Amino acid sequence: MKQRLLCFFMLGILLIGSAYAQDRRISGRVTAEEDGNPIAGVSVLAVGANIAAQTDDLGTFTIDVPSSVTSLEFRYLGYISQTVSLGSNTNITVALATDATALSEVVVTGYGTQRRSEITGSTARVSGAAVADRPLQSFSQGLTGQAAGVNIVQPNGLLNNPPVIRVRGLSSLTLSSFPLVVVDGIPISTNDVSPNSATNNPLADINPSDIESIDILKDAASAAIYGSRAAAGVLLITTKRGKAGEARVTYDGWFGINNAVRLPEVLNAQQYMDHKNAAIDRAYEINPSASLPPRNAFQPSYDANGNLIDTDWQDLVYRTAYSQNHNVTVSGGGDKTVYYFSAGITDQDGFLRENSFQRKSARFNVDHKVTNWLKFLGNVSYTNSMNKSPNSGSDPGSAFNSSGLGRIAVAQAPNVGPYNEDGSYNVQNASIGWGANQTSLQFANPEVLIKEDKNSSENNRLFANLGAEVQLAEGLSFRTSYTWDFRLTEDIQFWNPINGDGYSPNGSATNRNTRANNWNWINTLQYQKSFNGIHNLNVSLSTDAQKQRTQNWGANRQGLIDPFFNQFQGTYNINNASGNGITQLSYMAYIAIASYNYANKYFISGNFRRDGNSGLARGNQWGNFGGASVAWGISQEEFYKNSSLSETVSNLRFKASWGRVGNGNVGAYNEYSTYGSGIYGGAPTWAFNRAGNSNLSWETSQQTNIGVDIGLFNDKIIVEANWFNKDIDNMILDVPQAPSKGIPNNEIRANVGSMYNRGWEFSVSASPISKENFRWTTNLNLGLIKNEVTSLVTGQQLAFSTGGLELSNVTVTGHSAASLYGVRVVGVNPENGRQIFLNGDGEQVQYLHLGGASAWTYLDGSPAVAPNTTPVVLGGTIPTWSGGFNNSFQYKNFDLALNFTFSGGNYIYNGSRAGLLDQRVWNNSVEVLNAWTAIGQQTDIPMAVWGDNVSNGSAWLIDSNIEKGDFLRLQTATVGYRLPTTLFGNSGINSARIYASVNNAFILTNYTGVDPEISSNGGDNLGSGIERNTIPQGRAFTFGVNIGF
Amino acid sequence: MNLLNYKAKGYLGKKIAFLSIPLLLSISSCSEDFLVAEPELDISDVVIFETPERAEAAISGLYLGAKHGRLFGGRYLIYNDIKGEEFLNRTTNVVTGYSTYQFTNDASDTYIADFWNHGYLTINKANIAIAGLEANTSGLDGALVSQFVGEAKFIRALCYFGLVQIFAKPFVLDNGQSRGLPLRLQPETGSDNNELAPSSVGEVYNQILADLDAAIGSLPADYNDDEKNVTRAHVNAAIALKVRVLLAKGDYAGVITEGNRLVPTSAPFIAPSGISHRLQPDITSVFSAPYLTAESIFSFPMAATNNPGGQNQLGLYYNIGNGNLEYTVNTSSPGIFTNPQWGENDDRRTEFIGVEPRGTYFTKFAGVSPFVDYVPIIRYAEVLLNVAEAEAEVGDVNRAKALLEAVHHRSDAAYEFGTLSRDELIEAILVERRIELMAEGFRANDAARRGLPHESVGAGSAIPPTDNRYVFPIPILERQTNPAIGD
Repeated sequence: MKQRLLCFFMLGILLIGSAYAQDRRISGRVTAEEDGNPIAGVSVLAVGANIAAQTDDLGTFTIDVPSSVTSLEFRYLGYISQTVSLGSNTNITVALATDATALSEVVVTGYGTQRRSEITGSTARVSGAAVADRPLQSFSQGLTGQAAGVNIVQPNGLLNNPPVIRVRGLSSLTLSSFPLVVVDGIPISTNDVSPNSATNNPLADINPSDIESIDILKDAASAAIYGSRAAAGVLLITTKRGKAGEARVTYDGWFGINNAVRLPEVLNAQQYMDHKNAAIDRAYEINPSASLPPRNAFQPSYDANGNLIDTDWQDLVYRTAYSQNHNVTVSGGGDKTVYYFSAGITDQDGFLRENSFQRKSARFNVDHKVTNWLKFLGNVSYTNSMNKSPNSGSDPGSAFNSSGLGRIAVAQAPNVGPYNEDGSYNVQNASIGWGANQTSLQFANPEVLIKEDKNSSENNRLFANLGAEVQLAEGLSFRTSYTWDFRLTEDIQFWNPINGDGYSPNGSATNRNTRANNWNWINTLQYQKSFNGIHNLNVSLSTDAQKQRTQNWGANRQGLIDPFFNQFQGTYNINNASGNGITQLSYMAYIAIASYNYANKYFISGNFRRDGNSGLARGNQWGNFGGASVAWGISQEEFYKNSSLSETVSNLRFKASWGRVGNGNVGAYNEYSTYGSGIYGGAPTWAFNRAGNSNLSWETSQQTNIGVDIGLFNDKIIVEANWFNKDIDNMILDVPQAPSKGIPNNEIRANVGSMYNRGWEFSVSASPISKENFRWTTNLNLGLIKNEVTSLVTGQQLAFSTGGLELSNVTVTGHSAASLYGVRVVGVNPENGRQIFLNGDGEQVQYLHLGGASAWTYLDGSPAVAPNTTPVVLGGTIPTWSGGFNNSFQYKNFDLALNFTFSGGNYIYNGSRAGLLDQRVWNNSVEVLNAWTAIGQQTDIPMAVWGDNVSNGSAWLIDSNIEKGDFLRLQTATVGYRLPTTLFGNSGINSARIYASVNNAFILTNYTGVDPEISSNGGDNLGSGIERNTIPQGRAFTFGVNIGF
Repeated sequence: MNLLNYKAKGYLGKKIAFLSIPLLLSISSCSEDFLVAEPELDISDVVIFETPERAEAAISGLYLGAKHGRLFGGRYLIYNDIKGEEFLNRTTNVVTGYSTYQFTNDASDTYIADFWNHGYLTINKANIAIAGLEANTSGLDGALVSQFVGEAKFIRALCYFGLVQIFAKPFVLDNGQSRGLPLRLQPETGSDNNELAPSSVGEVYNQILADLDAAIGSLPADYNDDEKNVTRAHVNAAIALKVRVLLAKGDYAGVITEGNRLVPTSAPFIAPSGISHRLQPDITSVFSAPYLTAESIFSFPMAATNNPGGQNQLGLYYNIGNGNLEYTVNTSSPGIFTNPQWGENDDRRTEFIGVEPRGTYFTKFAGVSPFVDYVPIIRYAEVLLNVAEAEAEVGDVNRAKALLEAVHHRSDAAYEFGTLSRDELIEAILVERRIELMAEGFRANDAARRGLPHESVGAGSAIPPTDNRYVFPIPILERQTNPAIGD
């Protein structure tokens, strides 16, 4: 394919060019920088003359150039183009570097590939190099800042916590907004599959080192090829395949160090005791008859040496973590057979103690030409991924887990320690021991949780693909591809009987086994022909069938007969079934795609797709989707070529597309109203558990894209700009029902409401410097987006409670989805230190904790009503701008990459701060040292009263804990050095590079929480922009080596 | 295109033959039922009332709904006790009632919303059952249908009464004129009818009493089964609940009339009809396995397979051991602990009170891990005190005192009440309720039905009925989805 494209390209050059006198013959060899292997098919262009040549299988070339030519340019797909000045040399050796940032020429579009210059929709390609060699668990974490309009939020530093990926914004309110992920043709599941504290993103089952490219289909014209499930965009993962030639062996390895950054500063033991005792004194002043701890309840404890116990719990919970990664590949082949084999192992520890990720993987991809008309393709990959974590309170939905270490690390009392003097754990029933304090402490001892509890989720995953291509006639081919994706997951949770969650059940073990069977079969008949190079036609017809069946079984066991046991297999008093389920889904589709272009000037393409989904109601299971697009390559027109503009703007192409896609992530059984079974005492029960909707049909979105591709200065600078509009209609929504109706879960799934995402995307790629010894390539991408909900059920709003507890977001017509929702505050009353709130009528009311009947008053002291029954919309949580600025430099043997990411225009609820100001037994941030103490004092921290969780926003959301989320981050910085080949002698080594890299090097932001890239509610559409009790992000340094044999 | 000219003709035939393999498979996989996926673990709602076994299981499902740990299986009782003066919060945990204890909760409180949710979820299940059974399209036995409908109405009445007490102003304040609850009596399975204005408190009470009267007329008097006699509704249970409802209305004459169906005029106090309900000689036996005493008129059973779960368990709140002692007994005034009527040798003190460094704890619900204590909903002791209070208010003070003494002397035989005026007698009965029914979810409702403030130790002051914090706010989701609900 690449060869053919290149021939085509060269033919064009030859036709255009006039002949020069050719008076010098240059020859040489081109190799790949990464492994030193020769590259065949590199185009060698004489700069300033229309002369070109191509390298052969050994990477060698010969070209005759006139004396006016002083430099040669080397171009090859997927590599950074390089210009080499000739001087007096007639023999030139060039090493091309892989291109991680610049736009590439070929894109995968699902069911086939297309030349970028022919693409009429909007797509982006990220090279596999962008996600390889980084301390990541899944490739999805490495996409930040790589493509315009693709926004990634890594929820926190918990290993393998699924990132939140939004392609052109939020795609749905109830259904998943995560793009469809297709690996070598098969759509795979993307949500966290673990039920316990260890997050398990199944995308981590794909070794990032095996990825050749990630193509992101953004608009409907591109994505409509995956019509039924493309509403949120598509990520097409293509794994590496062999290349003909001698067997090549590579080894890549790195070692990494990871630390938590931007931790909050909390009170030390003395400050804690002083502050809490003062708060108790103040409470007695306010209300002597209240039930309170005794005055001076907080007392110092001393260790055996008489030193004050002053525990930094963050030191105990977090650590310096070490990781390593090794990957070996063997690839090669001959005329008929090419193969790629890889084996990888990664062993990563998180900065949260006992948080780890291990993966062992092997992949074998083979292509074999059986005859000149029949070709087989096969892939097999087997992966074992092990995720382990203590309860971090940082996985989605667990923000308020009482054993969440993110909160315990800051809120635990600092004047007690993890151990008693005799070495035993310091515990008092489910909580930590009091030490010398005279009141109960609330949180568990984190040392016990870390050492004695266990949470893990382990995948054994097999991907097997067998495909065949039959060349039926010239231009007519048939392809079939069957993929089997089989996952066995074992989830293990053990809560110790000593302290924490397992104390009350006297030890609890919950195991679950999941068997997820997913097959996909695609058949495609394709006709592709170019008539005289003028009429270029590409037509295909496909069928696509997929079935997913997931079966879970498990049990919960409680009441250990002896603390000797620390596993499910021990002996317990109580054994209950738990985590059982059977879910089946099937999809069926018929697809027709046609594209035509006239002389690369006028492009038109269309696709139509008919999709069936078992999750929708019978009668509405089938939907029709499709898209169309046109483009005009104006720079190919003669009149343009003759214009003066063409000297500056070397390529100019306009394109427009429209399409209609569906959101098929509806889950199973939506049609059915059912009764679920149970037991009452000892009697069997059936109870209404689901109100189905026998009219449920497809949620659709109509997407328009208008764009321009511009090449400046002989395509040295490539600019791409797109405007898009994504209208989502007939939205499938879990429509809230009046709870008094008694509908299970108070919701019925129905087609209701609409929403849009509109915006601009810009991408500028350039090679400002392209000298033999010094090169700089750069890409700046920026996405601007506006999300607005345009209709919901009349008068209704969708409220969201973080962790099921704290009302934090609302989705309401006229605002962007998941806006923050709470009560406004005016500030602290300097006269009395009370927080002043605004009630629904805009009146100022102040709160006095333990104030009894006068807890709520107007500023004049007259009684008022609490303002919290009238929350208001406080700000949008969806970033309105985001992007990346990626640079790679090469100086002689040194290389440097700097990738910046930025995002903003959104607000974040810093709920962790609300907790850090809570006046219960929890430790506080040093901010409370500024709390109001004297009349007339101007401060934003209210007077500290023991037990007060209202004034500071810990009981319900107040806007003083809302902050802007704008930031600029140096996401990765890498310095590499290529060892001179002279060092290798006869060792067989072709190339070797060593590098050092830092991830999350620094961040510029005014946000005061742990990180503006945060999501305590994971990828929940309705609960974005919340930081609540989560662990922070890490900073990782890695040192690695790439060796090619 | 020119297929036939392409290389040799012979190839094409082979290629097409090759092609036909996947195509045939492809066609077979696209058969009609490829897109049919029905739930394999749940049953369709259309077959539920077709057989007596499944209909009975659906009725058991109503009880299971009502005994949810976030309703009568745990939190309903707990929240009604922690609003008052008997318990002190130890753990300052919002998840275990700290905001209710302090009266800082609001309409977004998910645990208070769950009273509403689980109450109405159960009410709707009852409405569906009543409609399905009355339609009786499968010709189930008429007596069975009548009994099942009676049970459904009993559960519906229990839920409405539970909700109206905590989400609406007390009946006695204005004779039931204030805003009550949306009175949902029709089965709801679809998207319509979100909007329904609340009926008045009085109308809700009328419906509760109508349901109980219907239940009294159709429930069995005796299941002749120890377990069912305690865990399923029967005539005496419906009468006893009606007595409680009438007392909450301040209808003392009605209490006496209905109460007489369960309580003889004079000792021995044994229910004259149906199951022979009576006090147990030893109060601890009521709260111990197997929990199936003649004093237990109606209780929700608990078992390892259907326990209240996590932070809903009574023992977890009040007990030590594997309990978390969320609340300790308030050993200071105004807590009942210091009241002289609760003597040193009273079984309820010697058996149910313990002391450890974290505080004084309460062990009425003594089971810990698994927390499978049956949750008592109606005890004969309560019926006696209900009748006693009514007699003391408007009837025979001697019978009132005899009933009071029956309850008190069972636990503290030596205690002498002495001579009591009518007011002193009423006061003694109210104090006795606080001792006898402690931690059983009566405290806040007993204050409310007499129009008294909640003597909140958590808020640090009394919360009078005029305070908007006096009753729980209607949950935010109901306000958003049912605009007619009002405030």
